[in-house]
Amino acid sequence: MSVVGSQPDQPLPPASLDSRAAALDVRDLMVTFHRRGRDLPVLKGVTLRIEPGEAYGLVGESGCGKTTLAMAAMRYLAASGTSEGRVMVDGQDVSTLSDEALRKWRGGKVAMVYQDPATALSPAMRVGDQLAEVYRYHEGMDKKAALERSLESLRKVAIPDPASTLRRYPFELSGGQQQRVVIAMALSVNPKLLILDEPTTGLDATVEAEILDLIEELQGRINAAILLITHNLGLVRRLCTRVGVLYAGRLVEEGPARDVFTDPRHPYTMGLMRCVPRLGMNKTDAALQTIPGTLPALGEPLEGCVYSARCPMAKPICTRREPDLFAWPSDLPEQGRVAAEALPPDPAAYSPHHAEPLGVGPRHSRCYFASDVPGMPETTPVLASSLEERGAHEGDVLDIENMVRTFRDGAKKLTAVNDVSLSLRRGETFGLVGESGSGKTTLAKCVTGLIAADSGSVVFEDMVLKPTASRRSQDALRAVQMVFQNPDATLNPAWSTRAILTRAVRKLGGARGGSVRAKVDSLSAGVRVEPRFLLQRPTDLSGGQKQRVAIARAFAGDPTLVVCDEPASALDVSVQASILNLLVELQTREQVSYVFISHDLAVVRYISDRIGVMYLAELIEVGSADEVFNPPHHPYTEALLSSIPKLDFDNPGQRIPLRGTMPSLSEPPSGCRFHTRCHRMLGDICEQQEPPVQQASDGHTYKCHIAPAELLAAQTAEGQPTA
Amino acid sequence: MATTGTTPDRGDLELQVNAAAEAEQRRQRRFVVRTLFRSPTFLAGLVILLFWIFMAVFSTHVTQSPTNTGGAILASPSGAHWFGTDDLGRDVFARTMAGAHTVLIIAPLATALALLWGGIVGLIAGYHRGLTDDIIMRIVDAFLALPVIITAILIIALLGRSYAVLIVVIGALFTPVVSRTVRSAVIGEREREYVMAARLRGERSAFVMAREILPNITQPIIVEGTVRLGYAVFTAATLSFLGFGLEPPSPDWGLVIASEWSNLQTAPWVVLAPALALASMVVAVNLVADGISSAFSK
Amino acid sequence: MARFIGRRLLLMVPTLVLVSILVFALSEILPGDLGRFILGPYASQSAVTQLDHKLGFDKPIYVRYFEWAGHFVTGHWGTSYQYTNLSVFSIVEHALGNSLLLAGFALVIIVPTSIAVGVFAGLRRDSLLDRIITVSSLSMTVIPEFVSGVILIVIFAVELNWLPASATPPVGSPFVDRFYYLILPAIPLMLLELGYIARMARAGTVQVLNQPYIRTATLKGLPQRRVVFSHVLRNALVPTVTVIGSQVGWLIGGLVVIETVFVYPGIGNYTVHAALNHDQPLLEACVLVIAVIYMVSNLVADVVVALLNPRIRKSS
Repeated sequence: MSVVGSQPDQPLPPASLDSRAAALDVRDLMVTFHRRGRDLPVLKGVTLRIEPGEAYGLVGESGCGKTTLAMAAMRYLAASGTSEGRVMVDGQDVSTLSDEALRKWRGGKVAMVYQDPATALSPAMRVGDQLAEVYRYHEGMDKKAALERSLESLRKVAIPDPASTLRRYPFELSGGQQQRVVIAMALSVNPKLLILDEPTTGLDATVEAEILDLIEELQGRINAAILLITHNLGLVRRLCTRVGVLYAGRLVEEGPARDVFTDPRHPYTMGLMRCVPRLGMNKTDAALQTIPGTLPALGEPLEGCVYSARCPMAKPICTRREPDLFAWPSDLPEQGRVAAEALPPDPAAYSPHHAEPLGVGPRHSRCYFASDVPGMPETTPVLASSLEERGAHEGDVLDIENMVRTFRDGAKKLTAVNDVSLSLRRGETFGLVGESGSGKTTLAKCVTGLIAADSGSVVFEDMVLKPTASRRSQDALRAVQMVFQNPDATLNPAWSTRAILTRAVRKLGGARGGSVRAKVDSLSAGVRVEPRFLLQRPTDLSGGQKQRVAIARAFAGDPTLVVCDEPASALDVSVQASILNLLVELQTREQVSYVFISHDLAVVRYISDRIGVMYLAELIEVGSADEVFNPPHHPYTEALLSSIPKLDFDNPGQRIPLRGTMPSLSEPPSGCRFHTRCHRMLGDICEQQEPPVQQASDGHTYKCHIAPAELLAAQTAEGQPTA
Repeated sequence: MATTGTTPDRGDLELQVNAAAEAEQRRQRRFVVRTLFRSPTFLAGLVILLFWIFMAVFSTHVTQSPTNTGGAILASPSGAHWFGTDDLGRDVFARTMAGAHTVLIIAPLATALALLWGGIVGLIAGYHRGLTDDIIMRIVDAFLALPVIITAILIIALLGRSYAVLIVVIGALFTPVVSRTVRSAVIGEREREYVMAARLRGERSAFVMAREILPNITQPIIVEGTVRLGYAVFTAATLSFLGFGLEPPSPDWGLVIASEWSNLQTAPWVVLAPALALASMVVAVNLVADGISSAFSK
Repeated sequence: MARFIGRRLLLMVPTLVLVSILVFALSEILPGDLGRFILGPYASQSAVTQLDHKLGFDKPIYVRYFEWAGHFVTGHWGTSYQYTNLSVFSIVEHALGNSLLLAGFALVIIVPTSIAVGVFAGLRRDSLLDRIITVSSLSMTVIPEFVSGVILIVIFAVELNWLPASATPPVGSPFVDRFYYLILPAIPLMLLELGYIARMARAGTVQVLNQPYIRTATLKGLPQRRVVFSHVLRNALVPTVTVIGSQVGWLIGGLVVIETVFVYPGIGNYTVHAALNHDQPLLEACVLVIAVIYMVSNLVADVVVALLNPRIRKSS
């Protein structure tokens, strides 16, 4: 049983000097796209600098322009984009490169790792050939030599069985392996700058952790600077020394990662820090602060400070003149504000275009009131009521007994849900956690009736539910509803939003005639969507608004149970918080129960009263949120928790890597399904016998051969932080 | 019910933003129409098509009589007869202009039938999948394996040569292809969350197919329809040429080409005029179709 | 791969059976009494009835179907009603050979050409060259074969006298001469396929160019040539090849017309005449053979796609 060596608290800062050319030097970069006759400025003047060997995190939400910046560094903007300003990589101005020089540049000096590794690799070409291409065309090697070098580079990224991987096609590899291949490809000819664009989004938590381990390890060995583009603050904390926060095409804050995250000096950064649930937070004891308003649409004209429309600290001067990127700590922000207020009322004077940072400092902030940020007013907290207040004592609303569901894939039979039983009380939230292939989505679909379970019963309020939705009574349908993951597909784009809710109110709510309109209005008010948005098509609504409407739709018939399948995962972080708050508020008001599925453990911890952990079609642990997230808990849960990149600088915790890869559902391991990867495997018993259900406490059970007392001792002995 | 943390003037900003969104929508629709009309090929096709539609309706008013057998036999093009005369002394120009009528009735109606039947079959097969889908698609495959022209000939030989038969036969023979396209569009939409939401409301299959899915697949259907229209013109003309279209003395182009074939060496204009007219019509339909599908894909 | 082909062949069987039923039913609905047709309008009714009985036309339809199907499968295709001393098999063999020669000639030239043209247009999307290619190939492809045939004959055979207006060389000419005579008839076929194939190739190319892995390939620093040939082409050809396979149906229809226009003894020509003259055995055999060719070409296309696309290869 091994544990990765202790985490460095922060990656080491680079030993660079100003005399060496910066790995990336962006000066006043402005990128505008021209689409359908409109000018959409995506980057409005960004200046930043990454030293050789340094790791820089670029953080922002959708539409802020972070990917565009990476594309500009590669000179790979779409034909509809124009850029101004300078981008220099390793001292070379990217825009002056000839076509042939640009070709050598790409992959040679700058390399990139992409978000979705499955689509980033060519499906019809073997992995080895794709790797070899880089060597053949950059270093002029012949095919044989190139393949040998490829084998070497696969070894460096710790791919299991590199020789046979060379001969495989991308679709035959798992997501984690695919990403390793992409990383190997990027690093093959020692680039000066490595760009990582959301490298782990879409990967399972444990796989993500492995990839991060890999990147961290490689950081020490290569001399490339790293530009990490992500919306996940935890990743930045783990890998980067410096961070820049991008909002609406402008850099609003920059500085050493630790300082920026522990002491944010821009209202947006502060807002982000407050709206992300930290591990250990629960809805009953702390509230998520939301950022009011929505992210600005591309091309929307913004007056003054790009963030002023949503800033709780905004003053009139903020909308009149955009602040410079002031150094911090200093009194430049104050001086800047005074100077701005003293300007004559001439519009031109109010529209400066200062991309360059003003003043020298370890940090910069684009806010006149940087000194007031720590005291930023909070939005109204939404705390959940207690379980009793929500009616939990009234008994179970949902009882699932021995549910089984199998699929046929050609000749193979997969068991997606294997003998799962759980129960849910009124007003309770049951969080369902698991990685891909765990069966959680299948379970959710069986509960709602979208898929029929093969066997097992679903009892809802003493009523046995028919396996398929089409057979259920209207009463059962209105009582058990669902909120889906993808906000863009959850509402029918051909209907008006009002029509969608009206139909739901009629069908599920049974309303007739005049009361329909009133009910629709009250539903949309309940989810904070103003009536004028109802007149629009779903395509014109933002992601957050669409999801709110979807929630309203699910509540149209006053349901008793709502299954939420990753309802906030596809949304930006600032929007996610408001959706979670909405769900909590509705639960308190309507005493509705939730089955809440998510891969984001912090979110599940926050919103759930009880949690179930699924692995390979089985429910391996069930208990209250507190119990499941603290020892004693199942070794898989333990490893899962350790894999989250945490934002906490003082207590990062020990990382527990899992051996091997997720087994296939068609051939589950014998005995305990987790034994092939378990870091606490006892011995042969784990392979031969199915583990019993251990009772750690009343209401907390898990399937393992290790008894609770021993597990508790083992897990706390290593200084596991409680979560 | 106020949005958390809103200051009074924020509401105005939201109102402005919303108005901007509506204006944006209108702009985008106008932009699509404008792109269409900026495309020279689309315009060319449209002009030609409109010309033929005009001729189909008004030809007898603007040309000489196409049935008047008074002229010289097989006369070369001249001032009096722009395209010369045929072997019965009729003015070729007038006959050619009148020939637009038949094609412009048969092709659009046949296409409409094909879209209707193919749409229904495709919706049912695509939505239900499983056994229903397998059976339907086997049958569709079998019909697709039959050569269109020959099957059409057989049925027309049985039922006779008339507008109605031609329209129904061509429509029926195009149905399998249309059903294929519709089916794959339906399959693309079927697993989307809004369909799942509809099923969770207890909506019946017919409702889901017609009200939920169908409105979202209009674009591929329109594109397919415009392509089929071109092929319908093509097929109708070919059938006429082979002797299975309308009866003489219809000025139908395919029929004229076939019947005047023997004069090809001596008086080519009699055959060329309807041939070029047909070519221009088919090309025009397809340019319009191409323009529409490009405009959608922008 | 062998399993893949085997499975597809097996799936073809029910479709084939269905087609044979359709074909049989269609030819049965031809009006007129066969016995009457053969003996002519002046024969006595009893003689007609006797002939009908002898030919087996008074048996119930499903019995006749199974008899016919049984005979067909064993190779006994009967004798033609029109050419009473020729077996249907020999006629079809001869006609098919001619048609395959014509179609093969046209396809061998046009398929690689259209793919190249389409890919080229797709790579230079929205450029002037692309617009010219798209519009002209589109225009040429939708013109009915007899129209383009007529125009070609008028220009090249009548006015300019460069090429012969008939498709068959005089008896006794060397085999190679046949190709010279086939040039003019092959052109309408080529034009028919050019537009369709080029359009699919272009669409496939455009779609592939938008894929993330092309971005990866370009940003790896690969030369454009390599990106196109190794990454774009292999993936873009998949929908194109599928379409080529299914285009055979139209090709055969086109053959019918071309063979009529150029008076060429191919299978299309024979089929039309068989339909017009109620030559049931010949008609049924021809249509069935055409259907089989269509299915086989689809199968070949699927096999090529599987070769191009490793995912399909491996999952079978």
